[in-house]
Amino acid sequence: MTISKKIVLIGHFGVGKTSLIRRFVENTFTEDYKVTIGVHISKRTINISENEDISLIIWDLEGQDDIKKTRPSYLLGTNGFIYVFDLTRPVTFEHLNDELAFLKENFSTVPVKVVGNKVDLVNKIYLKEHSEQFDNVVDYFVSAKTGSRVEKLFAKLAQDLIQK
Amino acid sequence: MLKELKDKYHKNNFQYILVDDLGVVLEQDHPILPTIIGEKIQDIHPFFEILTHLLTTVNESFEFSCINLDFNNQEPLVVDVTLKTHNNNNLVIIENLTKHYNNYQLTAQTRNESIINSQILVLKNEYLLEKETFKNNFIANFSHQLRNPITASTIFSDLLINSNLNDEQKNYLEIIQSANKDLKQRIEDILDISKIESGKLILVSKVFNLKELLKNIEVIYNYLASKKGLSFKLEIGEKVPTFIEGDQYRLKQILANLLTNALSYTSKGHLHIKVSHNHSRANKVNLHFEVEDTGCGIAEENLESIFDRFTKIETGEEQTGVGLGLAIVKYLISEMQGNIKVESKIDKGSTFIFNVSFKTSNYTQDQKEELLNNQLPELKQKYNILLVEDSEIIQLSILKILASTGLFFINIISDGEAVIPNLVDQKVDLILLSNTIQGYSASNISASIRSLSKEYKKTPIIVLSTQGYKDDIKRYKKNGINDVLVKPFDKHKLLESIKKHLK
Ligand SMILES: Nc1nc2c(ncn2[C@@H]2O[C@H](COP(=O)(O)OP(=O)(O)OP(=O)(O)O)[C@@H](O)[C@H]2O)c(=O)[nH]1
Ligand SMILES: [Mg+2]
Repeated sequence: MTISKKIVLIGHFGVGKTSLIRRFVENTFTEDYKVTIGVHISKRTINISENEDISLIIWDLEGQDDIKKTRPSYLLGTNGFIYVFDLTRPVTFEHLNDELAFLKENFSTVPVKVVGNKVDLVNKIYLKEHSEQFDNVVDYFVSAKTGSRVEKLFAKLAQDLIQK
Repeated sequence: MLKELKDKYHKNNFQYILVDDLGVVLEQDHPILPTIIGEKIQDIHPFFEILTHLLTTVNESFEFSCINLDFNNQEPLVVDVTLKTHNNNNLVIIENLTKHYNNYQLTAQTRNESIINSQILVLKNEYLLEKETFKNNFIANFSHQLRNPITASTIFSDLLINSNLNDEQKNYLEIIQSANKDLKQRIEDILDISKIESGKLILVSKVFNLKELLKNIEVIYNYLASKKGLSFKLEIGEKVPTFIEGDQYRLKQILANLLTNALSYTSKGHLHIKVSHNHSRANKVNLHFEVEDTGCGIAEENLESIFDRFTKIETGEEQTGVGLGLAIVKYLISEMQGNIKVESKIDKGSTFIFNVSFKTSNYTQDQKEELLNNQLPELKQKYNILLVEDSEIIQLSILKILASTGLFFINIISDGEAVIPNLVDQKVDLILLSNTIQGYSASNISASIRSLSKEYKKTPIIVLSTQGYKDDIKRYKKNGINDVLVKPFDKHKLLESIKKHLK
């Protein structure tokens, strides 16, 4: 049996939402940046257990510097969020807590995974220096470029969706 | 006519699709999307899976704008989608806005890229700044650590030269002395550069005797020039004032730097130094300086870069200097509101020309007289000196200097706790206090001495410091410290300061 779930990726522009999805869906990566406008939707089915598949309908939203600017219709019927920020650009995680509070308020029952992308560009010391901001908030440090923890991120979210 | 046109254009941009509550296509008009009657709309693109939940509502309207739809073998489309739900007869309206949105994409692309670039630039600058600060602190700390050993080496060589040595030994020692001097100069230069870069190099403004300063320079460089078989001439213009206000040590540093260079690049001929009056305005006087040599000269392509850090004029012969000197000179001159330039011809020689401004007023007759009678007093009695220093090598060298004069009784302690008991126990006329005492800062020790009874308020305290920054010196003075000798110091400086404060 296959069920389908809607997953929405949000975050500032240029943080790598499109790249993460391309890594997950097509297993490709490019250094070029093509700005997403509106929304792109793609799909990948993954196997959860022996006879259980889950079809993830992934919504790749246009980047916004403020989550409140997102078109409400894009968020209709969302089953899970992935909030993406760029580890190398502090502006993209400065207001992380406010952004997450917005989701909590409006989608209190929808699971959210918070990821810091482009981990290939920073070192451990950098992560340590920012640990106050990241600890207890960030679920995964990922890299669309190397693919590090991308599969894991989606798999874990899918698992969470099944259990609900 | 209008209706026809409207139908034509309107039609091309819109597709109306009728679907049942499961999403099966019942009817459609002008095809924009590759939908097929009888098949589920959800199957043509995953976007439409969102409809699955919405189709069960009745008399509702949903709008989705700017949806990117990719189909195999078709140009990507960007459309607005409207859903109007009716019982089993739901209308899906597709408006093709690909052109419009593609234009918008281009605008967004430019905007986002430029914002991200500026953010990356800011990050880079922050990173560079951090590195720069680290470097400057590192240089400053490291140079300070070199001061104690160099001080000791300088003092001991000075002491040794006066002992019984044969000619060969004297020769060796002179080489050591000159190496010490060189090392000391390089450390000073490096410190100056790091001070300049961290904005900590600040000029003082004090009245001084310009002509005396120039005469002193003349004595030294006349001697050095004659040793190389060169002639030396100092010319002072008529209207050049005797007393001016500014930083005499830095002016001396500028001239010494230029003259030392001139000396090392010249093997025959002369060195000239000319000082003349440019103009006076309000309470400022602008002076013109020239330092001329008949040395190897500088190639035209090098003229621009010689004031940069770490460049050295290439001559094929061996040269001295790390090349920081001219960068410091240029900075000091610009701090004195002046300019420097150089004129040069290969094999004919070079002339460094600069002008700087000094204050002329703001000093009294008394100050002038004090400057003129600035001879050191001769001491008439023996004094008690307390030396607080934990470096044994410095203890020993100071002991030797003071002992050689026969003027002082010396008591040495190396631990901060013993200072006060020692003071109370015996008469102390002057305290020499190191800034490297374990667990104590010179400022703290001084402050506690000053807080004792009245008789200790006036005992001169001279700090022997590894730090020569203006901030440090200010802090020392605030805590009742009378003078600061920055390591490495030599015999002359030490005695000068002691005598001045025992006067
Ligand atoms: N080094 C590195 N670069 C990445 C990574 N992920 C994305 N990028 C680069 O970051 C830029 C932006 O990536 P996108 O995936 O287009 O970002 P986005 O979040 O979709 O941006 P918008 O569509 O404008 O919201 C591109 O140049 C990518 O190549 C990563 O993990 N490592
Ligand atoms: Mg994108």
